[in-house]
Amino acid sequence: MNAQPAVLQSLLGRARRQLASRLLAEPLEHMRSIPFRDAGHGYDVFGYEPLHAALALAALEPVYRHWFRVRSYGVEHVPARGPALLAGNHSGTLPFDGMMVWTDIVLRRRRLPRMVADHFVSGMPFVSTLYARGGVVGGTAGNLRVLLDAGELLMIFPEGVPGISKPFRERYQLKEFRVGHAELAIRQRTPVIPVGIVGAEEQMPQLARVPVHAFGVPYLPLPLTPVPLPVRYHLHYGEPLHLHEGLRPEDADDPQVVQRAAERVRRAVQALVDKGLRLRKGVFR
Amino acid sequence: MSARSGWRAPRGVLVLGASTPLGGELCRTLLKDRSLGAVLAVGREPREQVRLPEDARLTYQRVDITHARPVHDMLFGAARDLGVDVVVHLALHRANDFGAPVHVQNVESLRWLLSLSDRHPTLRRLVFRSHAEVYRVERGLPSVITEDHPLELSPDAPQWVRDRVEADLLACAQMGMAAGLEIAVLRCAELLAPDEGSQLHDYLSAPVCLRSAGFDPMLNVLTLEDATEALRLAVYAGGTQGTFNIPGADTLPLSACIRLSGRLDVPVPGPLLAPIYEARRRLRGAQFSYRINRGRFHLAAVLDGTSARRELGYEPRHRVDWPSTRR
Repeated sequence: MNAQPAVLQSLLGRARRQLASRLLAEPLEHMRSIPFRDAGHGYDVFGYEPLHAALALAALEPVYRHWFRVRSYGVEHVPARGPALLAGNHSGTLPFDGMMVWTDIVLRRRRLPRMVADHFVSGMPFVSTLYARGGVVGGTAGNLRVLLDAGELLMIFPEGVPGISKPFRERYQLKEFRVGHAELAIRQRTPVIPVGIVGAEEQMPQLARVPVHAFGVPYLPLPLTPVPLPVRYHLHYGEPLHLHEGLRPEDADDPQVVQRAAERVRRAVQALVDKGLRLRKGVFR
Repeated sequence: MSARSGWRAPRGVLVLGASTPLGGELCRTLLKDRSLGAVLAVGREPREQVRLPEDARLTYQRVDITHARPVHDMLFGAARDLGVDVVVHLALHRANDFGAPVHVQNVESLRWLLSLSDRHPTLRRLVFRSHAEVYRVERGLPSVITEDHPLELSPDAPQWVRDRVEADLLACAQMGMAAGLEIAVLRCAELLAPDEGSQLHDYLSAPVCLRSAGFDPMLNVLTLEDATEALRLAVYAGGTQGTFNIPGADTLPLSACIRLSGRLDVPVPGPLLAPIYEARRRLRGAQFSYRINRGRFHLAAVLDGTSARRELGYEPRHRVDWPSTRR
């Protein structure tokens, strides 16, 4: 067997990693300072890997600082360690809101928020791999339970796809919240930190949704602008909600209890969004 | 031999599939326990072709388990006479073949074994080696697989998978049903070793490994040493029954598997893989079938070993000796 091409590929791969480690020295050092559960080969069981996360940080930090000029308030409400759920409003045609929250918490809190993606994301070539390397996980109860048991921080958008795809005229009006996060928070006795994201609604008004379902995507968005507008993001973190207080883990099976808990989270997020809208001086300021 | 207090130690062990590398290794490991009375090793091959240690307590019998009568006679003959109380079943068909004889070996032989064990005078425990491939891997299902994960029950699944699922379900369905028989089903991660019927091992034996462009899922692989230890613990865990995932110590992306195996990693459009690998199977007699592995080659699927750790005390400790890391 001629193994030369494989050896060459391996050497090239190693050289590429070394070059990336050197070029990304600062973000890599930052990501390495955030602990993760290495499953043995530098990846965790979900595919997270610090070097790729450093690459994501290097790409997103300029967008965070100079394009969206993110301002965040109340980040101290995000616990420094231990399991927690962040629940925010979802909007903006493409998920820059999630990326900005990820960057904000990585930079300001030195924690890795595990963004929870819809099921279709894991079926998308390239996107699924890039997301997994950055710590994104598929939104199944089993995955989330494993992560919370391991004391990780999860970021969920309980509105799901209806949130990110709502028309411009409905901006900042939260869609109905799914209840899975509330059930999980009660069962796992985990605090929920509401996050109000202001700015994302105006970044990329959606003109239409093309009914293309390749790789399981629900639609193909047709935005007004090819790149997001340089709106200013305001991220408001609320005080932790302890949905499990006064409840037993088995109460998570009661649909009414869970519905009420999810509604409580929705109201908290809506209040933060309203506050953010009141405080901001303009879409771009 | 470490065993938890409360576990009932075996008196004699029957190893079905003793001619496989795992079966041989298990026999050797069991014989290290001087208090074990007998090991009855059963294989299809003649004794001289099977690498087993010379030990007065080891008996080798050549039995074709695709016929009910020899299985009956072995159980109610040598096994009874040796006082065998634990059976380890490792004898699923390893090659990627299909047809009725393969089904008989994979499923019907287990059915006979379960039925005969129920009325056997000495047998008390069955350890069945199942496979991680029995789990369904698709979008919307967890990437970390616990024992309650859905099984691959699709009628379109290849016989290789369907037989394994049926055998697994057969063993699970008997759990707690047979009055005097405890059953432990070990759903082992891919055992990355030659002659063990590993699809991934066959895939990685090609100089060029094609994978679906844009997908690099996380895999978990098991070594012969860890698989043997898991089986040994299950043999000694008398009084404990259930289904247990047996993960390995290596969890890594498919691309890293290919690289560490010293192979050329070539991403190609996904739809090309099935016909290319089917052609390779037909022309080269290779075992790897993309149809069997489609889910695992796109989506992460890693076994969660919490139950085995808690109930059996199993912890994966041995990493794969990857070719590219050898000095």
